[in-house]
Amino acid sequence: MAKKEWKQRLIPKKALFRASMIWETWVQTCYNYERMMGMACAHTFLPVVKYLYPDNKEKQIDLMTREMEFFNVHPEFGSCILGLAISLEEEKAMGQDIPNEFITNIKTSLMGPLAGVGDTIWQGVIIPILLALCIDITRSGDGNIWGAIVYAVVMFLLTYIFSYANFMFGYNAGSDAIMDFLEKGILNKLLKAASIMGCMVMGGLIVNYVSVTCGLTIATSGAEFSLQESLFDAVLPNILPLGATLGVYGLLQKKWTSVKVILLMVVVGIIGGFFNILV
Amino acid sequence: MSIVTAILCGILYWLAEANLPFVGLWTLQRPLVCGFITGCFLGDPVTGAVVGATINLVYLGFISAGGSMPADMALAGVLGTAYAITGNLDANTALAIAVPLGLLGTIVWYLRMTIDSVFVHMGDKWVAEGKFNKLYLSNVILPQIFSAVICVIPCTLAAYFGADYIQSFIDLCAGKPLQIFQVIGGLMPALGIAITLQYIFKGEARIFLFLGFMIATVSGMSLIEQGILGLIAAVIYIQVTDSKKPAVAAAGAPAGAYDPDYDPDED
Repeated sequence: MAKKEWKQRLIPKKALFRASMIWETWVQTCYNYERMMGMACAHTFLPVVKYLYPDNKEKQIDLMTREMEFFNVHPEFGSCILGLAISLEEEKAMGQDIPNEFITNIKTSLMGPLAGVGDTIWQGVIIPILLALCIDITRSGDGNIWGAIVYAVVMFLLTYIFSYANFMFGYNAGSDAIMDFLEKGILNKLLKAASIMGCMVMGGLIVNYVSVTCGLTIATSGAEFSLQESLFDAVLPNILPLGATLGVYGLLQKKWTSVKVILLMVVVGIIGGFFNILV
Repeated sequence: MSIVTAILCGILYWLAEANLPFVGLWTLQRPLVCGFITGCFLGDPVTGAVVGATINLVYLGFISAGGSMPADMALAGVLGTAYAITGNLDANTALAIAVPLGLLGTIVWYLRMTIDSVFVHMGDKWVAEGKFNKLYLSNVILPQIFSAVICVIPCTLAAYFGADYIQSFIDLCAGKPLQIFQVIGGLMPALGIAITLQYIFKGEARIFLFLGFMIATVSGMSLIEQGILGLIAAVIYIQVTDSKKPAVAAAGAPAGAYDPDYDPDED
């Protein structure tokens, strides 16, 4: 699908940019259970609505009212839906016969898949890998501030650039292109590559930052026999941290909540620490 | 801790927790970042960053989706770092104290998600009257004033009074209790890693966790180096598996037969 010619459009590019910035910046300032990001959606239309119906307040109010509806998505991955909604409203304002329900339906049908993909990739892959690397930078040597700064700057730029690019993609390319992206193999391939890299990093993280040390000693005919030194370290150092991590992973797979896991760790820590099983 | 510093901590917590601006959820809210800034307020940025980084290990893969907030990492980051610096705690002890505080903090999030509905109805009214510019009031200013009240006050008080008592509390815990704190603090990063594994420890990627584990155990390579190695391994893996596919498909088809619908990615 070709890019739209600006001359034939109602909305100037500057207004689109402002709309996208409003979306990315104020999307969760009034996050609530009733409409989630609904009001942020209407807010996003604020800079463009006057170009769509320049002298018809009734139609402006109609449009804004339907954009106030319930809406919830991953803000960066979902920004293409906002771009798409603006482009549909624009076509409607230019005289195309697009029913109101069509715009609402397309928004609600896209928000589920994009929220799923977005939360998984953004919060489950990109952030953990970047955080792990920056935490390691921060804690290397005697400690320094660079990890925190690099993380904040990279994440800030990534968020705004990706959000704007995705917004314009939705505006220019339309709903078919978004569905295409979601269904094509390229997404899975990227996800697989990121998972491989992520698993490597997590493996290193276990070794460097999870610490579980057994303090048990067994007295055999006069000699003290430390389980940690003579057994675990001899077989495979760090086997206890690996076991602990995979154990927690197993509990989470069994639908344990993180709160429950935290409480379990406190209990294990108190009992283990009290009897010197763990030091 | 002076009252001004405590108020600054409260404001930092508000900005991080109330998504003002939204990118704060990805940056300020992470203990790595808010711990560093808290460290700046208290005149020790390096300790702040290191303690924040340690606390952040627990929240590595925490996902806030559909309006849920499993734990309040911003409160854990700000207060954990503030207590660590004022009380001279080591990072693992600060971690063990900060994480339960983070659980308390989720109350603020759920309160905000519930009360913010009130402002939506104001927005509805203004939109129906055609006063669109007032959306700034209903979507940003009013809910953020409310968020400021519920975030700044408790966090400021907790930072101010907590810092006074943390030293005597730790003195009281000297010996066995402190050792227990450190054991718990050493265990907790396993949670952050395990949560991340929920998303990436899948299919063919699984074996690479053990490869990464072995490399780190044997070589003492830094995590950055290991990350680059991981990236290279991923690219090689994708290339190898991709180049195999057409060969398998071709072997399955009759030799020399022309298939107009042939698609190498099909199977």
